[in-house]
Amino acid sequence: MPHYAKSEEWLRESQLLLEARPTTTRITTKYAIKVPKVRKPKTGTDADNDTPTTTAKPARGSLVLKTYDPISGVTLKYKTTKAAEVSRLIMCLGKLSRPMAGLPELKEEEMADAPDEGTPAAEKSEAAAVPAVQQQAPAAGGGGGKGKKKKGKK
Amino acid sequence: MGHLTNDEFFTKLVELFDSRKGKDHGHIYLTQKRLSYDQPPLPEPTSEAILPDLHPPRPLPVLVRATNGKGKADRARKIKLSTVVDPEALPAFFERYADACKAGMTTLKPRDRSKRKTKAKKKKTVGAVAGA
Repeated sequence: MPHYAKSEEWLRESQLLLEARPTTTRITTKYAIKVPKVRKPKTGTDADNDTPTTTAKPARGSLVLKTYDPISGVTLKYKTTKAAEVSRLIMCLGKLSRPMAGLPELKEEEMADAPDEGTPAAEKSEAAAVPAVQQQAPAAGGGGGKGKKKKGKK
Repeated sequence: MGHLTNDEFFTKLVELFDSRKGKDHGHIYLTQKRLSYDQPPLPEPTSEAILPDLHPPRPLPVLVRATNGKGKADRARKIKLSTVVDPEALPAFFERYADACKAGMTTLKPRDRSKRKTKAKKKKTVGAVAGA
């Protein structure tokens, strides 16, 4: 059950899975609101550990996208906590609804999907599953949130 | 419960999100899949097309569901919504869907601007020192 670090990877793998198994694959979006964990402030650590004792932290939400095919058992997941990603992710769901409905892929994407016209689905689903397994390793809990460090524009 | 129309679904979905606003726990599940039930039958599998569902003769509708995840123990408070989206209505539906979700998912982390600001300030002071 791979978790993807990037939504693009999740989107690509989900697209492959949907193309292989369009009838049974479903996408579930879980929006969870959780009681924030009360953390004891660390004593004598680094200085940027600010506001550790403020009470009544707001509840933290998370969003998990899951593509699941019950027949082959393939599960692809992507998790985020950022509000900025919501509309993009829902648009991803919209993109994924096209193979679900049996519509051809939109032209704007230059994916080389021409040659796999008559391939049996078993092969394709394997193809979707194999890279899925390989990318299982980088599923570490995203603690730092420092992945998207941008250079200042000003 | 039968399917709602797309419009009804959105009003109920907004209500569902609102019912969780200001609470510190809870779940909302949104699901989508191809509607394969009660559809005209697909062509029989042939040797060229072993799985006829891969290339259906006409586009199929998509079923979208939303629940608050209440199970058996709490059946009375379970909210279950579902709607069928026609293939030609998909882009419009997902645009509204995105807006509804963006408005409803309020506990996600907002974009953090304070950090960037302090960083920019730091850079400025460093630059000033270097310039002087």
